[in-house]
Order: sequence, then structure tokens, then C-alpha cells
Amino acid sequence: MNSSTEATARRRRFDQLVGVFHADMYRYAAWLSRDRAIAEDVVQEALLRAWKSLDALRDDAAAKPWLLTIVRRENARHFERKRLETVDIDDLSASQEALLAEQPDRELDEMREAIFELGDDYREPLVLQVMMGYSTTEIAELMGLKQGAVLTRLHRARHKLRETVEDR
Amino acid sequence: MNCEDYKQAIAADPSFDGGAAHLSECAACQAYRKDILSLDNRISAALNLSVPELVMPELPDLEVENVVALRPKKRNTTTWLAIAATVVIAATVGFRMLSTDIHYESLEAEIIAHLDHEPASLVVTSKRVSDKRLSAVVPADMSTMGHTAGLVTYARTCEINGKAVPHLVIQGERGPVTILLMPDEKIDAAADLSGEHIDGVLLPVGNGSIAIIGERGERIDAISNTVRNSVMWDT
Repeated sequence: MNSSTEATARRRRFDQLVGVFHADMYRYAAWLSRDRAIAEDVVQEALLRAWKSLDALRDDAAAKPWLLTIVRRENARHFERKRLETVDIDDLSASQEALLAEQPDRELDEMREAIFELGDDYREPLVLQVMMGYSTTEIAELMGLKQGAVLTRLHRARHKLRETVEDR
Repeated sequence: MNCEDYKQAIAADPSFDGGAAHLSECAACQAYRKDILSLDNRISAALNLSVPELVMPELPDLEVENVVALRPKKRNTTTWLAIAATVVIAATVGFRMLSTDIHYESLEAEIIAHLDHEPASLVVTSKRVSDKRLSAVVPADMSTMGHTAGLVTYARTCEINGKAVPHLVIQGERGPVTILLMPDEKIDAAADLSGEHIDGVLLPVGNGSIAIIGERGERIDAISNTVRNSVMWDT
């Protein structure tokens, strides 16, 4: 295979993977950052990095965790550890509010706000489990935690969501 | 299994299918399970944000862009030395072509290329690798290196220049910092590694060398001193 053919095949492979997983990448970035504008930036950076290191992905079956790991890293790089753990729900930027103003559905809005207010440690494993379909073992691996810690966080996250939603 | 155990398990993972015997006899847990499944449906719907149209970034031509800019070393050589060096390089390249599948123009280039091979290593985390894992990756007869050099969050044996070397990651001020311990890669002098997003250095240590690469702006000098002091080649 000549270099031109290889480049075309590589680009086709990349486009296919991104086509399948772009939505997951964006939603993961959005719930990590709690900001639509930042999520779009993070995904752009992640796509660029994924493109450069695509050859390291030997098995396309592992593409989803590979891409989400890159998103996670790019999000961390974006905030450079300066992120505040808590966000005042009454004092949001326009792009933060845009995350909550999805659909005119009161129940969903309440739940979205409750998830938004969860601490990072609880929100991320919940997103990975409910939205990405990760097992607790996979979450533990991605987040560098023991499985027991993941189970505890997930339990507490749901407990907190139930309380918050019931109070509203 | 009692009610508390079951509720904890199902709230942590609604797909939990253990405790069937308890569940079949406990109305309270049946109701709790139904409640959790309903909650998860609402969580799932809430998380399902609308996604903007994909805008692909401008993807660089890798054949050009992958060439990492490395500062050229200043050399003062005579013509015949240059010819001799060319012969040596040609012999080295020839040997590598016979012995490996991928060829790099230098040790520095291979190190830089290796960085993107393991994105999982470059995660910002406070989770340290276990001492057992660390000692397995960095055997005592190669060197001694513990968490004194920094919080080690990744440790794996990788291949550089055909040799198995410890690949470690510590958490720096600006993010993960990669450290490659290469006891058999002797170099004459330190080399600066630079790239669009990285700062790093390749240091000679005894009969080997250490590569330290972090994010752009990372305090590589300070980390280098700490790492160098914590490494003791036995070779």
C-alpha cells in the first residue's frame, strides 16, 4: 500500500470512529466540564490528539474507552486543576445555562440541575455508568480508583439525586 | 443478603442481579429496586444532551507534522569526522532495519513518538501506583526509584530502542510528567526535547539516560533534579 492510499485509509478509519463516538465524546465532555462551550473546545482538542495517535489504537473495538480517556485528559488539561468543585446554580455563564436549558420539561430540568450540582467525584462515574454503559470495573480503571470506591460513589450519587429531586 | 446490602448494591449498580432469593421475598426491596430503575431512566434522559453538529478540526498531514522539532546539537566536526559519522549512522540504521519494524531517526524521536502511544498513562489523578507494582516495573537490580521523585501514578514496562524500560508518570504542576528510565541508553550530553505542547529533557546518568517530558511550561528542571537524585543505576 503506497503512502497516499495509507493516508486515505487512515482518514477513513478516523472518520468512521469519530462518526460513531462523537456524541459520546461531546456528552462526556459536557458533563465533565458542565459547560457547552468548553465541551466543544475539549472535543476539538481531543479529536486532534486522537488523530495524531490513531496508530496506537490497534483494536477499533477499544476505540470508545480510548477516545473517552483522551477527552478526560483534555478536560483536565483545560482546567489545569483550577476548577471549582461547586458551581452556584444561580450564577451561571451563558454556556453553562445552555447545558441546563435543553428541553422544556420540568422533570428533566430538575434532574439535570441535580446532576449539574453533583460534585465531580460523583457525577463522572454516574455519567460513565448510565450514559456510557461502563461497568464499575471499567470506571475504576479509567478513574484510577478501587472498585469499592466506585460503588460507594455511585450509591451516594443516586442517593443524593433522589434527595435533591424529591426536595424540589 | 439483607435489605441494606441489597439496597446498597442496586443503588450502586442497577444492573445488579444478585440477591434473587432475598428480592423474591422482600416487598420493600422490590419497591426500592423499582424506584432505582425509575430514577435511572430519569437520569439517563437528563444526561442525554443534544449534540452539536460535528465540526472536524483541521487535521495535520502526519507525515509532516509528526516530525517533532528537536533542538539541533552544536557540533564542531571536521570533514573526515563527518564522513566517519555518516558511516556509523548508516551502519546503525542498517542494523535497526534488520532488527525492528519501526525506525526512528534518533533516540529522542523514538521517545517523543512513544508519548502518544499510551494516552491512558497521561491522566491527571491523585491515585498512586502500589509499591508492589512500582517495584515490579523498576526492578531493584536496575535502579531504585520510589515515590520520592513525586506521586507516581503510572508504571509500565515499555520498549524503547528494542529494550524493555520502565515507563513512569508522576504528577507535575501542569499535569502528568512522563519518565523513561533507560539504563542501557548511554548518551554523551543532555538533550532538550521540545514540541508544540511539551517540554522535556534527555539526561545522561551513568551508563544510561533518563527522559523527562511534561506539558509545556512544566518545571522540568526541578523535576529532573529530584528524579536524577532518586535514581541509582546498578550498572
